[in-house]
Amino acid sequence: MTTTLTTPPATTTPSRFRWRVVDIVVASVIGVASGLVFVAWNVASNPVTDPLAALLPGLQALGGGFWLFAGVLTAIVVRKPGAALYGEMVAATVSALIGNQWGPLTLVSGAVQGLGAELVFAIFLYTNWRVGVAILAGVGAGLGMAVTDLTLWYPGSDTPFVMVYTISAMVGGALIAGLLSWLAMRGLARTGALHRFAAGREIAKRV
Amino acid sequence: MTTVNPVAKLAAALLLAICLVLTIDWVSATVALALEFVVFAFIRMKARVFWLRTLPVWIAAPLTGVTIALYGQTDGAIYFEFALARVSDGSITLAIATVLRVLAIGLPAVVLFVSIDPTDLADGLAQRAKLPARFVLGALAGMRLVPLFMEDWRSLELARRARGVADTGRIRRIAGQAFALFVLSIRRGSALATAMEARGFGAPAQRTWARESPWGSREWLVMAAGLSIGLVAIAAAVLSGRWNFIVGP
Repeated sequence: MTTTLTTPPATTTPSRFRWRVVDIVVASVIGVASGLVFVAWNVASNPVTDPLAALLPGLQALGGGFWLFAGVLTAIVVRKPGAALYGEMVAATVSALIGNQWGPLTLVSGAVQGLGAELVFAIFLYTNWRVGVAILAGVGAGLGMAVTDLTLWYPGSDTPFVMVYTISAMVGGALIAGLLSWLAMRGLARTGALHRFAAGREIAKRV
Repeated sequence: MTTVNPVAKLAAALLLAICLVLTIDWVSATVALALEFVVFAFIRMKARVFWLRTLPVWIAAPLTGVTIALYGQTDGAIYFEFALARVSDGSITLAIATVLRVLAIGLPAVVLFVSIDPTDLADGLAQRAKLPARFVLGALAGMRLVPLFMEDWRSLELARRARGVADTGRIRRIAGQAFALFVLSIRRGSALATAMEARGFGAPAQRTWARESPWGSREWLVMAAGLSIGLVAIAAAVLSGRWNFIVGP
């Protein structure tokens, strides 16, 4: 006697854009770990970047990159649409829940910064994850940070301050959120921790 | 206070914050602060907890104020000038408004968030705010690893100490340790994902919830309180003629 299945087993090849469970969990873990770095930077940023601000007002935005890397790092590791936004939002939520001076607006900042990076990856149709795109995504996140910070926290600033702040945010985003995240991703891949991701297999091939 | 749905607390804090950031003036911020302190008095938070948790806000507010005092828009008499820094009547007024506003946004947020349990928040976000459950629960799983991360951090520190490499180059050491923590956490995350998948997480079935996320009149009341403090503050600013919209001159 033969039994027939009422529904055939799903044999569809998973879409490149669909999030697997491991993508979600690892993106979350990276987001949470980045959120802890945010919390440390929330406290450390003022004493570290205030001398920069004394040098040239607005230059403190250079250090803002340490609040921007979560989105870029998550995106270049899991390589799915929405990863940059998700990673940055999870990190911002951790930062807000532990408690900081920006309150719920941390979430607004996280969303705009995440979107800034996300848009860059989207422009490249989620197919290019090279260092140049990572740096551009960092710049996008930096631009997002400049927009939110200048409207929410430094309204009524002079034009020179606005210019310096915006450019510093983009440079900080490019170097810290873009380049440093990419180097970190490569380092993570070298350790073998990313063996379930395209990011990790890419490196493994070269060994 | 602990029984209010975290989503409502988050929404209340956000509604209040959005009202307050629209304008930069001392009237709206002062009115909001005064009303908030009335509410704080009612919820009877322990004084020690209140001061300890809100300490970062108290530190950050004057620092932001100094920045604005130095680099805010110049107006009226100038008291001090050095390079781009220019302290004037206008920038001092803006600075005072900024300090009050940071307090008015930051303090209630800390008070509302102190009692939020991540698990309750995730339940609320998925069931009430209807965010995609896979992502919300994934984020919650990540958040529940935080105590493990802390333990890992201490182990990494001890390991470095045992090897005798922990005593010099503090910044370098912290960077190296942070990287190692990322490696450990991603390994843990990958293993956790396998375990979750084995138990059916992410399967295309109808999800049921172990914990119901309650929502009733109390939640609406908390949100209404947040919004009305914001609206009263705006009204006070407009009526006193101090309304100063953040976009534009």
